[in-house]
Amino acid sequence: MPFLQHICQAFYDSNFGTTIRESDYAFSIIESVHVLSITLLIGTIAVLDLRMLGLILRPVSVKKLARAVFPLTWAGFAVSFVSGFLLFWSEAAKNYSNPAFRIKIILLLLVGLNPLIFHTTIYRRVHEWEVQALTPWRARTAAIVSLTLWSGIIIAGRAIAYF
Amino acid sequence: MSLLWLFTALSHSSIGQFTQSSRWGFAVIETVHLLALALLGGSVLVVDLKLFGLILKQESTRTIGRDLSRVLLGSLTVMILTGIGLLSEEAGKCYYSPAFRWKMALLAAAVIFYFTLHRRALLHADEGAPTLWARTAAIISLTLWLGVGVAGRAIGLL
Repeated sequence: MPFLQHICQAFYDSNFGTTIRESDYAFSIIESVHVLSITLLIGTIAVLDLRMLGLILRPVSVKKLARAVFPLTWAGFAVSFVSGFLLFWSEAAKNYSNPAFRIKIILLLLVGLNPLIFHTTIYRRVHEWEVQALTPWRARTAAIVSLTLWSGIIIAGRAIAYF
Repeated sequence: MSLLWLFTALSHSSIGQFTQSSRWGFAVIETVHLLALALLGGSVLVVDLKLFGLILKQESTRTIGRDLSRVLLGSLTVMILTGIGLLSEEAGKCYYSPAFRWKMALLAAAVIFYFTLHRRALLHADEGAPTLWARTAAIISLTLWLGVGVAGRAIGLL
């Protein structure tokens, strides 16, 4: 048995995972929290991305908007990560072989790279372009990549239940 | 003409025929519904937190309200259209579902509030620090939209 599958099986077989799985309401409630916190996470990211594309809020500087939404984005990330992990815990053995789940994890890893690259490159010089209505092409590319990846995460995440 | 008749008609329409017989139709429509939800949730949150005076304090509430209302109304339109598609698949079940009835009531309240009192609060918000009324409007708006989401999630569970 591959190493990752072994870990997934251990989560699945654990008392805690079994409790969530066998409870009448636990999974549904955690899943609802997961969906709502994703709205917080991806909704705020989308607003910032649309600003970086110059589509909305042109009079507001990118930096100010980023500062305003980051606490919300991180709060959404924290809650969706914890709730998502609990969901995984309860059905890890099934998730392991689920193609939608695998794609979602890969997209999550990729979407983590995007802000890493963005913050160490073009965002360093944000003071030069933060008030421009039309942002530099690298900022616009980052926004499009971000919107695409996060949309993919929602699509793959929803599809987990269909496999 | 009762509402039940309308639900039955939708269920028997060509949209209903498609969603009920297609293997992936419902799943795809539901996914688009969720994508638009993220955008709607994000814009509601930023507008209301701004109206409340928590974020972007130096910016114009009017500008933020006007710009994000385009995002909000655009995503709301997508949600209503895909929502009709979802409804057509299980109209009979939804008609009797308390969660669905709550969702529609809360949605109507949220939309009416948005176009009337909330809009007035946004238009007057730039005349100084956020008033008690502006803050109340922000909280009512957030509560109503959150209620729509929670009730919507409950349709699939109850």
